[in-house]
Amino acid sequence: MSEKVIIKTENITKVYKIGEIEVHALRGIDLEVNDGEFIAIMGPSGSGKSTLMNILGCLDTPTSGLYLLDGIDVSKLNDNELATIRNVKVGFVFQTFNLLPRLNVFQNIELPTIYSHKKSNNKLKKIYECIEAVGLKGKERNRPTELSGGEKQRVAIARALINNPAIILADEPTGNLDSRTGEEIMAIFQNLNKQGKTIILVTHELDIANHTQRIIYLRDGLIVKEEQVKNPIIAEEILIKMPKLEDKLVEKISSN
Amino acid sequence: MKTFRENIKIAFQSLLLNKLRSALTMLGIIIGVGAVVAVMSIGTGAQNSIVQSIQGIGSNLIIVMPGSPHEDSDPINQFATSNLESLKLQDVEAIKKYAKHVSGVIPAILGGGPVAYANKGTNTTIYASSEEAEEVYNFEIENGRFFSKNEVANSSNVAVIGKTVANKLFGNENPIGKNIKILGKSFKVIGELKPKGATMFGQDQDNAVAVPITTAMNKLFGQNYLNLILAKANSEQEIDIATEEIARILNKQHGIKPGETPDFNVQSQTQLLDVLNTITNIFTITIGSIAAISLLVGGIGIMNIMLVSVTERTREIGIRKAIGAKNRDILIQFLTESIALSLSGGILGVIFAGVVSALLNKYSPIITSISISSIALALSFSTFVGLFFGIYPAMSAARLSPIEALRHE
Repeated sequence: MSEKVIIKTENITKVYKIGEIEVHALRGIDLEVNDGEFIAIMGPSGSGKSTLMNILGCLDTPTSGLYLLDGIDVSKLNDNELATIRNVKVGFVFQTFNLLPRLNVFQNIELPTIYSHKKSNNKLKKIYECIEAVGLKGKERNRPTELSGGEKQRVAIARALINNPAIILADEPTGNLDSRTGEEIMAIFQNLNKQGKTIILVTHELDIANHTQRIIYLRDGLIVKEEQVKNPIIAEEILIKMPKLEDKLVEKISSN
Repeated sequence: MKTFRENIKIAFQSLLLNKLRSALTMLGIIIGVGAVVAVMSIGTGAQNSIVQSIQGIGSNLIIVMPGSPHEDSDPINQFATSNLESLKLQDVEAIKKYAKHVSGVIPAILGGGPVAYANKGTNTTIYASSEEAEEVYNFEIENGRFFSKNEVANSSNVAVIGKTVANKLFGNENPIGKNIKILGKSFKVIGELKPKGATMFGQDQDNAVAVPITTAMNKLFGQNYLNLILAKANSEQEIDIATEEIARILNKQHGIKPGETPDFNVQSQTQLLDVLNTITNIFTITIGSIAAISLLVGGIGIMNIMLVSVTERTREIGIRKAIGAKNRDILIQFLTESIALSLSGGILGVIFAGVVSALLNKYSPIITSISISSIALALSFSTFVGLFFGIYPAMSAARLSPIEALRHE
């Protein structure tokens, strides 16, 4: 493959010390992700997938091993350097959305640009582009409390996109959503991937993982299996078949 | 680029979110700053008023007081011993005769007691001096005349009365030529003084009578010594040389040899002003520092609330850090918030002090004056309080690990 490698880890370990006890959360992870890939990391709780995600997202550094993100060795960086990498190279999407409740949609999406210390003349244009890309036009002035779960997750995705990151890290992005809304969010991810975004999804639902191109199985801090998804689920096709919530209600009412 | 303006905006947004809490926290600073500025305004007002009243008694004055000058230059003690009996009328004569740089010199006795006319009476201040007092002490006559050299020489029972005394004893009646009783002795009113108003301590300067010095010594108080000698230098440039001249003359008069401590104390008006300014400064600093303690307590309140705020917003901190906020960004955010809190309190405190001092000016005899320097001092001090008490909470916010903070519920 001649594709550019965006993530490369070599023998990453992570050891936590809880009092006298050492917890080996990761025992040596070798992982390569190509630019433009859409992968899922799966595993039961305690398998180390959160720890791996924290390290891939530069929220944490590995105890040993090498981690190259977009050609930068980030395994030895200090707090402030990591913050800059998170700001420029990583876009986070969390299960619980993690929006700032006091800021409106526009301000939440703008937030990462406030912390990137570079002048940008087309910042406004970029923000509106991202709002449009996730289908939130017209909701710019709404507060998160005025939004549905799906809309909140769209804001989070727009926020993740704003600084043009090298990777998007999504931690159980559909975990708090009903299946239809979850499918809509997956459709957005698939669209973004089609446009060339590298996306890493952490999930424990196989249905969701099957939307991606490759699944990596973690257990006890090691990669135990890695497989290409033969026929990834296309979210938009599912959505066409899926009845909308209103339709279901109409059916229910008319059948009574 | 996270700009200064955005920081201020974020700070006020989160302060407005907890309006009551922010207001209560601010109250400590408002009271502290308000008290400090108000006290300083009273101090400045007192100082201005002292300067005015001392300059009001005449210019280029030199004051001779009985008692030794103190080595330790403690300003309070200089007045404590002023009732010694070393100054005599002959001293005044000697200065008048020998001093070349002095244009006028008067003796003075200050006392107090009852004055009465017909069935009306009041207590008043008694100024006893010579005929030259009209010029040296700036006595201005509204009605009638001041006493003459002859009346001083003859210990005549004549009096010049102040406006308050005139009103109390005579009402609308013309007092000139009437006989009043001072300390039970009969005096003829020959003049009425122009009103001078009240001093800043609430003392009515018009509640006074002036009598010839000899009359006071022989008939009223029965004393052969003076409370004060006031001399007037020829010009402003000659004040220092005149002060030395008077000291030399009195040393000779009192037989004090070089090296000995004199039993009197010569001070120029400016020196006296300095001493009085020192006293008001001590007053201002003392009361001001007591008031400043409430600023300190207010600062502790700010620290307390900021610590609560950091705990409450742990998740927000985690989110901000996850999307790229550096430790410094978080530090500045919370510091800005605590400074905004205490500086707003400081500004409200200055406004509060302004209202208090305006009310004091209007409804009490206390004269106040808010100086720009006291406002600047109060505002910079409250900024410092915000900075000082905000640094620990802000640092603990900045040091949070993003993973831990995101996990926080």
